[in-house]
Amino acid sequence: MTCDAVRKLIPLYYYGELTPEEEDQAEAHIHECGACARQMEAARALAAALDRRRMEAPASLLADCRTDLAAAVRGAPAEPAWRLWLGAAGATLAGFTRWRQPLGAVALIAIGFFAARLVPAPAGSQVSTASLAPSEGVFVNVRSAQPDSSGRVRIAYDETRRREISGAIDNPEIQKLVLAGAHEEDDPGVRVESVGLLKDRAGSGEVREALMNALLHDTNPGVRLKALEGLKPLAAEPPVRGALSQALQFDDNDAVRMQAVDLLTLRRDEAMVGVLQNLVQKEDNSYVRSKCTKALKEMNASIGTF
Amino acid sequence: MQDAAGTAGARVNSEMDSLVRAAQRGDQDAFEQLVRAYDQSVLRLAMNLLRSPEDARDVYQEAFLRVYRNLHTFRFDCSFHTWLYRIVTNICLDQLRKRKVRKEEPAVVETSEGAIDRTEGFEEVSAAANPERVTWNRQLGQRIGDALEELTPRERMVFELRHYQGLRLRNIGEILGTSEEAAKNCFFRATQKMRTMLGDLV
Repeated sequence: MTCDAVRKLIPLYYYGELTPEEEDQAEAHIHECGACARQMEAARALAAALDRRRMEAPASLLADCRTDLAAAVRGAPAEPAWRLWLGAAGATLAGFTRWRQPLGAVALIAIGFFAARLVPAPAGSQVSTASLAPSEGVFVNVRSAQPDSSGRVRIAYDETRRREISGAIDNPEIQKLVLAGAHEEDDPGVRVESVGLLKDRAGSGEVREALMNALLHDTNPGVRLKALEGLKPLAAEPPVRGALSQALQFDDNDAVRMQAVDLLTLRRDEAMVGVLQNLVQKEDNSYVRSKCTKALKEMNASIGTF
Repeated sequence: MQDAAGTAGARVNSEMDSLVRAAQRGDQDAFEQLVRAYDQSVLRLAMNLLRSPEDARDVYQEAFLRVYRNLHTFRFDCSFHTWLYRIVTNICLDQLRKRKVRKEEPAVVETSEGAIDRTEGFEEVSAAANPERVTWNRQLGQRIGDALEELTPRERMVFELRHYQGLRLRNIGEILGTSEEAAKNCFFRATQKMRTMLGDLV
């Protein structure tokens, strides 16, 4: 094979797109020819530079798109489902006491949704409407504080009341709150605990969705690892495989990628060939790389890296 | 071992087919599952091709609405993935062609999560202390962006699907309604153009 002929094959060779015969010929030539080996190196450098231009869609954009689509398809309200659960949970808070007695596996949830600060209760005498003032265990966010014409101060605030409830994890209301806990923005500890509680309940569509969301979007690797554990029994399902594949390709945590590759390569899946080939090329973690190589060999696919 | 793995792979496909059949019968949950199996890749493809969250959002909406309306016409003569990607790539190619009379892209795009610097992917953590490195990375980002813009919409699409989405050229040919050979040629032209334009940088 001449240098000219090989150089035409190099981009396809790099991406594992040659026939086995062409691949053997190109490989033999590159092994012997310094100039073509440098061309191969340039192809690799170009691919690496292009990789760094990859643009990820922000999680909020995906959420917005899904909401738009749901609204267009079903005329559904433009709210993510878990917010609706929150609304429902809020509406039924008064009814929680009736199943307060502990049942089997107990979930204790502190309801402190969203960013809020504990403000000490002001002395009652200074406040004309004491009944409306914050008291112990109530979190408030002050929205405005202005003097009024009489020299008093007018305060507008939102308040969030902390309560504790307990119930079995399969109680629907408890489950809703645990799902909300899995989205608790300010406290990764609560998210780890919540996702940990959910991981054995992945049979339910809502829980599965929350686990996939945690795997793909949670900033805390501990939460993502818990979510992976929960998704383990569902690793054959297409939507879950999609999420696992995203995690394998884009998660920056080695442990997450190692778990994801284990789950994905349990099954032979031709659709994964391209992803696995790219990873053999790019992945820094040797365990992940070797799992990808092994899976490709089992599928008789080209390893795609040289 | 291989047989067991093969059976499991076939199961993944048959599960996808049964989801499609359920969605064709009007099962909304099945449709939603189908969307969620693919929508992140679709959004990433649109985002990377069009470099605009607004346009990517439009592509997402139009593509999945077309899927919703036309799912009953899907006859399983190719995979659902291929069928979906035919729709998505058509919409994106239209957008790219419209843009060929293009204006300079701003370096910062607005999203609902705030502004995203298009070039921020080029800045490594260690680069923070090294302004020269930051400048170099920005230049590299700009140059790569310019090189990609010089590709024809079709070359751009083939390159995007192979390099960023990891699809095989045979599958890309199937999606774009052409042969594997034509997809290979197109991909080769794309890489050559980029080598020519970026040769001094890499």
